[in-house]
Amino acid sequence: MENILQINNLHKYFGELEVLKGIDLSVSKGEIISVIGSSGSGKSTLLRCINFLETPNNGEIIFKGKNYVTNQNDLQELRKRISMVFQSFNLFNNLSVINNLCLTPVKVLKKEKKETFVKALEVLDLVGMKDFAYKSTKLLSGGQKQRVAIARSLMMDPEIILFDEPTSALDPEMVGEVLDVMKDLAKTGITMLIVTHEMQFAKEISNRVIFMHEGIVHESGLPSEILNNPKEERTKLFLKRFL
Amino acid sequence: MLKFVKRVLVFIIAFGIIIAIQSRDDIYASEVNTDNETIMEAIEELRFYSSYNYQTLTEDKLSQLIVDFYLPVRYGDVLIDWQLESEYVELGTETETIEINSITGYVEVEVLKVTILEVPSVFKGDQVFELLASFEYLDESVEYSYFGTLVPQISADFLGGATYTLIRYFSLFVEGALLTIGISLVGTVIGFVLALFIVTGKTLNIKDFESKASKITKQVIKKVSSLYVIIFRGTPMIVQASFFWFGLGLFGNALLCGLFVVSLNTAAYIAEIIRGGIQSVDSGQTEASKSLGMTGSQTMRYIIFPQAIKNSLPAIGNEFVINIKDTAVLSVIGIFELFNQTRKIAGMHYRQLEAYLIVALIYLFLTYTVSSILRQVEKRLDMPLKELPSSN
Repeated sequence: MENILQINNLHKYFGELEVLKGIDLSVSKGEIISVIGSSGSGKSTLLRCINFLETPNNGEIIFKGKNYVTNQNDLQELRKRISMVFQSFNLFNNLSVINNLCLTPVKVLKKEKKETFVKALEVLDLVGMKDFAYKSTKLLSGGQKQRVAIARSLMMDPEIILFDEPTSALDPEMVGEVLDVMKDLAKTGITMLIVTHEMQFAKEISNRVIFMHEGIVHESGLPSEILNNPKEERTKLFLKRFL
Repeated sequence: MLKFVKRVLVFIIAFGIIIAIQSRDDIYASEVNTDNETIMEAIEELRFYSSYNYQTLTEDKLSQLIVDFYLPVRYGDVLIDWQLESEYVELGTETETIEINSITGYVEVEVLKVTILEVPSVFKGDQVFELLASFEYLDESVEYSYFGTLVPQISADFLGGATYTLIRYFSLFVEGALLTIGISLVGTVIGFVLALFIVTGKTLNIKDFESKASKITKQVIKKVSSLYVIIFRGTPMIVQASFFWFGLGLFGNALLCGLFVVSLNTAAYIAEIIRGGIQSVDSGQTEASKSLGMTGSQTMRYIIFPQAIKNSLPAIGNEFVINIKDTAVLSVIGIFELFNQTRKIAGMHYRQLEAYLIVALIYLFLTYTVSSILRQVEKRLDMPLKELPSSN
């Protein structure tokens, strides 16, 4: 399978604190990777570094043959292709649902307004939010917001979508609707990197599971292997809490 | 709704400025319709005399009558037949002789006394009456009319004085108030626009990979913007107004200069308000915008600024209310806004208490009304989007 994202020896410091201590990861096209681990293990930081919301201090992030750690004046190019879904949704508060979807394709990808509009309605239909197209984002529930956020990232036709704990801020009854949307999305063959605490979901959806601990990738492999028969002590300890 | 409010406000400003600029025309300019020059001269030399110290009244003074006056019975050899009909003044029938002090000493003049029967109340306002003079001159029969105006008088008590001041000078108060609102509103709007530039300057983002020249330019813009805010927030507006008008004589027009000062001053304050608004926007908004490939300036323009401005709207509206009060300072450079207008009114009868109490109430009315309107607008802005938006 074609390798589209390659991360080599990635380091990130917050002041004195070393959060990522040399991450190596290669992502193939169409792969769905779940990243698990306890809080503070660096999962979210890893995801944010891939999108350069945090600037890595050291290492390589190679996307389509270009190392963006040394070429930071062209980050827009990277971000156009890799979009992100946040824990706290981060929908644009000043825009209606449909405009949340249409803004970036028109302004960043320079797409035709009408075309984008039609596509936005289609994508909203996909996540079951078509009826809310003209609503203010304030009126939506958490689950609905997250579905719109996913739709918004889809509008960019990304090659990779990064999910940063997409269900952690949701009420338990809303988690299902978001996970369902993500499952549908997985079937379309898009590459996904998911930081999650939903172990069952991770098992169902992913091709690969990565366990992170204290800034390094501790264990990596098939979901059934990692989640059912972890080899490392740390992984066992972590998973114990979810059983 | 907002568009409508905007239009109304623009109209009000335009109206206010027009009224303020127009000088008031004399309402009772007398008409002279004659084709004979000698008659003209004769009429011009015709004098009236006030019962107060027997002063000569010109036609002008006839229009501000508060005491009885005399009409000459003859001009030279010409006998004049006077006619006057009014419920406020009465023309006497008995000829009297009064002594008038002239350049050649005291002269005796034969006159008819006109007595004021009733001082018109301030509610009825000025009372105009017509004086008809008919006489034979150079074998011609001439008729000429003068207009006299009886002016209401201010009463000594507070309530009467206040009523008089309010009613009699209502139009002056209105003029002043319109000018005050006009300057405040235009100043706030221009200040807001300037503030956008200042804030943009202050919040410029300097990135590591930029060229040296661009870094230095941005640094300079940042410093200048900060300095601007420091200077204009750190000095009193009265000093700024005096500096730009008496010091520099900017625009050669006090009104424009005043507007300029208010705008610059407001810009500094609004810039700080918007900067606070920007900081109050959740950082997640920036992250989401950047993660979707928007540049820093696009993020600012489409996401952060609209939210920051919406957040700051109450404070910006407040700035307008503050301006309504603070423009009183412009009286110092001779702009007749509400406060200066009041000083003029207070000086007319030396009745300070009444005038300043009235103006305090007018200011209170203005600020309270504007605040209420702004609160309504804010409420409306918080309502959910209903109409189909034009997809950006």
